[in-house]
Amino acid sequence: MQRILYLIQKEFRQILREPAFLGLIFGAPLIQVLILGFAITTDVKNVPMIMVDQDHSQMSNRLVEAFSNTKSFHFLGQVGTAKEAVHLLDRNKIKLAVVIPPHFERDLKTGRQPRVQLLADGVDGNSAGVALSYANQIALKLQKQWFPRLPHAPGTVKEIHLTGIEARMLYNPSLESVNNIVPGILAVLVMLITSFLTGMTIVREKEIGTLEQLMVTPIRRGELILGKVIPLIIVGLLLFTIAIISAGLVFGLWMKGNILTLYGMSLLFMMTTLGMGIFASTLARNQQQSMFITWFLGIFAILLSGFFIPIENMPRVIQWITYLNPVRYFMIVIREIYLKGTALHYLWKEALEMTVFGGAMLTMATLRFHKRVG
Amino acid sequence: MDPLEIRNLKKSYGSVPAVKGVSFNLRKGEILGLIGPDGAGKTTIIRSVVSLLLADEGEILYMGKNIRDNPTYIRSRIGYMPQRFSLYPDLTVEENLDFFGDLFQVPKQKQKQRKEELYAFSHLGPFKKRRAADLSGGMKQKLALSCMLIHQPDVLILDEPTFGVDPVSRHEFWEILKTQSRRQGTSILVTTAYMDEAGQCDRVGLMFAGRILALDQPQELEKQFTDPLYVLHCPQPHEVFEQIYHDDSLYVANLFGEGVHITLPRERTEEQLRNYLQEKRLTITKIERIKPSLEDVFLKLMHG
Repeated sequence: MQRILYLIQKEFRQILREPAFLGLIFGAPLIQVLILGFAITTDVKNVPMIMVDQDHSQMSNRLVEAFSNTKSFHFLGQVGTAKEAVHLLDRNKIKLAVVIPPHFERDLKTGRQPRVQLLADGVDGNSAGVALSYANQIALKLQKQWFPRLPHAPGTVKEIHLTGIEARMLYNPSLESVNNIVPGILAVLVMLITSFLTGMTIVREKEIGTLEQLMVTPIRRGELILGKVIPLIIVGLLLFTIAIISAGLVFGLWMKGNILTLYGMSLLFMMTTLGMGIFASTLARNQQQSMFITWFLGIFAILLSGFFIPIENMPRVIQWITYLNPVRYFMIVIREIYLKGTALHYLWKEALEMTVFGGAMLTMATLRFHKRVG
Repeated sequence: MDPLEIRNLKKSYGSVPAVKGVSFNLRKGEILGLIGPDGAGKTTIIRSVVSLLLADEGEILYMGKNIRDNPTYIRSRIGYMPQRFSLYPDLTVEENLDFFGDLFQVPKQKQKQRKEELYAFSHLGPFKKRRAADLSGGMKQKLALSCMLIHQPDVLILDEPTFGVDPVSRHEFWEILKTQSRRQGTSILVTTAYMDEAGQCDRVGLMFAGRILALDQPQELEKQFTDPLYVLHCPQPHEVFEQIYHDDSLYVANLFGEGVHITLPRERTEEQLRNYLQEKRLTITKIERIKPSLEDVFLKLMHG
């Protein structure tokens, strides 16, 4: 047992002596949270748009004003006809055009429903969808202000009112993607750092020949692995903490749930990533190979974790595969704890799944790790 | 009992045989050298003995115990120095020593005393705060040896420890090994590709193509060479060697640094050799009878 402590002591001596390593531990989480948090966004902002006002009434002016005063749209001005608007869309000058038909105000006042046309560039379907719903929201808001003041039958007002369904978003009311992305970045960070570093520090000993030297000492396989892995768990948690603090300071995003639950879950998750690192080290002869193997496995795990792409949007078969991906469970857990403050006893299923996968991965990797060469 | 007993060791890598049945004993307190060119199977034997490789056939007994069943037993009692320098380059001399002392669970008090002793004979004391990466080649090897001596093993196993080390450091290194075996009674198994290091060993095994061709004291091995041996000093030894080699004569020629070594078969006289060389019109400055070296023995055994 004591030999594990000696290994850990040695490991930290080496870590503290390597400035690049220290930079990685403190710099990487800060930079990743900062850059990725701002860069990876599914928010729709500054959509270039124009308006075609064919009514030129007081009410149509109000509508134009409403669109020109929002952060979601970058209002470029007005053109005369819908045809011109389509031309601009074709030339990729704008993403959205709002066409207000003639007699817009008259129709509204007489209780006939006017048809405002929205022309959107659907190349990026996601953004177009979001832009359209923003536009609808703006229109609805105006409708609400106007209708009670309109001089026609109350029955008609009710009817029109009913057509608008307003969705209210829980937990992430502003639908800001940063709230969803940042916890995801934390998960990815933990995964990459622990699996990469595990693989690399073990293979490094292979490269410089110390692994061969260590093998011919009384140290046992389990002790050797624990001695390598425990320092990395400590480093991993340290990194995780720095990332959590950075996310809080930069984005004002602090977890709603219990921090101990989150750390406990991270430890369960690390079983998998550490196992992956050890596994890579048994296959690789040098650090580059080890990095490639962990990168190869890691990229799949991240893409199929629901980090950027919602799992519900994936084909059925791929969805089944994601059940075999431990990152998926950690992604759920970290978002639940961060955004909803979900308590531990609601997350037992994910915890169990991560334990099973982690245990299997660690066992398999350890069995592959022999105290012999060739 | 001999500390180490190797019986009919065989090991192949895939279909390529590396060691084809090797047997020898390492006796208490002796320095046994395995000498042979690269690819002779020296490292395979060493790695099998230290339990890093699993032999295909044969037995290796350490203190009478089979190492296949007791790998931990041998691992805690021997000192092993691999072919390549394999300490932590980013740790200092002292930290490396401490680390291996800790791993072998040498009590702290004892460790301190051992360190002083090791500093004294290796002259590494003044450099104890220096990182291993910044040591010279010779110092690195002495540090590696010190790390393997900190737990006072009964058996020391070294794979080409003097490879790539300057002649002065090589000499110093061998002196340390000799002192260790004479004073502490440590049994040492060492491999080398340098023939001139054979004289430093108590016994020498000449290895070629996975076999030990002969194993004895260096002087005894030299006595095996009974035919008269001559050296031809000449300005172009390469040419002379080629001429005799392809001539299919009864003379066996080998190319050496100082000239061409030529062995006289029993039935020939020195006179006949001189006449032969004259007939061939080879430019030779001097013909001289010499005492055979271990390298001559090795070449003779190698060619069967």
